[in-house]
Amino acid sequence: MSADFDPLRYRADFPLLARRVHDKPLIYFDNANTAQKPQAVIDAVDGYYRDYAANVARAVHSLGEQATAAYEGARDKLAAFLNAGGRDQLVLTSGTTQAINLVAYSYALPRLQPGDEILVTQMEHHANIVPWQLVAARTGATVKAAPVDADGVLQLDRFEAMLTPKVKLAGVAHVSNVIGTVNPVAEIARLCRARGVPLLVDGSQACPHQRVDVQAIGCDFYAMTGHKLFGPTGTGALWARREHLQAMPPFFGGGEMIRTVSFDGTVFADPPHKFEAGTPNIAGFIGLGAAIDYVQSVGLERIQAYEAGLLAYATRALQSVPGLRLFGRAPHKAAVLSFLIEGVHAHDVATLLDHEGVAVRSGHHCAHPLMQFFGVPATARASLSFYNTREEVDAFVRALDKVRRLLA
Amino acid sequence: MSALYRDIVLDHHRAPRRRGHLAAPSHACDGVNALCGDSLRLELRVEQDHIVDYAFRGECCAIATATASLLGERVLGLAVDAVAPLQQAFAALIAGGEADPALGDLAALAELASYPARRKCALLPWAALAAALAGTPRTTTEKDPT
Ligand SMILES: Cc1ncc(COP(=O)(O)O)c(C=O)c1O
Repeated sequence: MSADFDPLRYRADFPLLARRVHDKPLIYFDNANTAQKPQAVIDAVDGYYRDYAANVARAVHSLGEQATAAYEGARDKLAAFLNAGGRDQLVLTSGTTQAINLVAYSYALPRLQPGDEILVTQMEHHANIVPWQLVAARTGATVKAAPVDADGVLQLDRFEAMLTPKVKLAGVAHVSNVIGTVNPVAEIARLCRARGVPLLVDGSQACPHQRVDVQAIGCDFYAMTGHKLFGPTGTGALWARREHLQAMPPFFGGGEMIRTVSFDGTVFADPPHKFEAGTPNIAGFIGLGAAIDYVQSVGLERIQAYEAGLLAYATRALQSVPGLRLFGRAPHKAAVLSFLIEGVHAHDVATLLDHEGVAVRSGHHCAHPLMQFFGVPATARASLSFYNTREEVDAFVRALDKVRRLLA
Repeated sequence: MSALYRDIVLDHHRAPRRRGHLAAPSHACDGVNALCGDSLRLELRVEQDHIVDYAFRGECCAIATATASLLGERVLGLAVDAVAPLQQAFAALIAGGEADPALGDLAALAELASYPARRKCALLPWAALAAALAGTPRTTTEKDPT
């Protein structure tokens, strides 16, 4: 643990973390599901509605200009955050799910032929499986999944072997939401580029925990979601190489995405606006801009170092619970701990932990194929953030021990 | 630790009654909540419109297991026609209604009124019972993705 990192100092920035649940202090260990918001984000959203609520890119009055500047300013912040190499390469979406669907429908669908393949991995979230299945079903293509090993590490040699000329697109999670595995996405991007296969990286779980540089990764598409990065729900982005965005047809049509409209033919706006039809989530993105300022002020390197120490601590603590099985032991992983206690159902664990004030997720975590691989219908999952502490881990483990004694 | 996991519920979770298979069931149903990962098989012997034997097996959470166990105790010897009103009384109870005395020990699950996400666990054995009696081989209480 970095000695200079004081999580209590940052906790004070998150008003919700002070609340109690079932008369116990809240221990929020469901950060991979959605993260809590610092006061700065709440203020930014509130400030827009109080002081300058207006539509963007349409109004010449003062409020409209202020709103447009704040909204487009958030795009700039996100572009810098991801090292996008140009704001025109960043399409604002409602989240990762919409970002991946945009690639599926605008990029993949027009290109796929019968017999083509889309290669993903066994650890993907349904958001990086189902959109590909939908376009595959329309085109006669198929979706293949590269396997993981018993520790939950992607078998890179198998992935490489599956990258045949039939593969027209690959999709890989940067970080697994179920077991925290950090995939070697730069290496995967090299393998894909060597074969001319465009790569989409699902960065939903990476952005809150480590610095992300899309150009250094060398992928073609990078999808992210704002609510896991301490921003409002309904925000996210697709970063894509300029040539892809220029070649892709729009997905939604409507206002904001056009230059001129007539019944003889409509001229679309340039990327990224070509893909942003309709009034966007203005307040949400202004909030996301504030979230990015906030995490930058804490420092992603410091967050990553602190969380690595917290993960090691939590892993050791969980291993001391009799009958507890941990899923995912990747050497390089984020602070996500999926587990089961022998003889106890994951939902009973989650309900009973809630009674002790501990919020964890139970279920399949939108990753049925990975659950099938582990041979379990569900797990309980504790996902930690930089505002969590070792004392919370201790209380969590004490609560788990109570659960075990009650039910196992 | 929680009012939901009362002693009687824990007792039926730890030592479920009528767990196993029947030699010659006249009715059976598999209740499967795939999203949750609960699955149980319920078997009945019905003679002269009465439930004369009951058994269940499965991999379930404590709430579903305890309900299946308590349910067997309650419906054994019961007329088939009496199941539906009892099921309605149970559904009303866990939705926050009054406890119908006819429910007996099943009233121990009343606390589910405060756990909307867990009601489908307790309803699974009931659904399997109703489906078995109706001759339906498989059922679920998962309507929405969770
Ligand atoms: C790895 C991963 N991909 C995709 C998603 C979908 O994100 P969203 O629901 O914000 O679009 C999530 C989160 O639920 C996730 O963890």
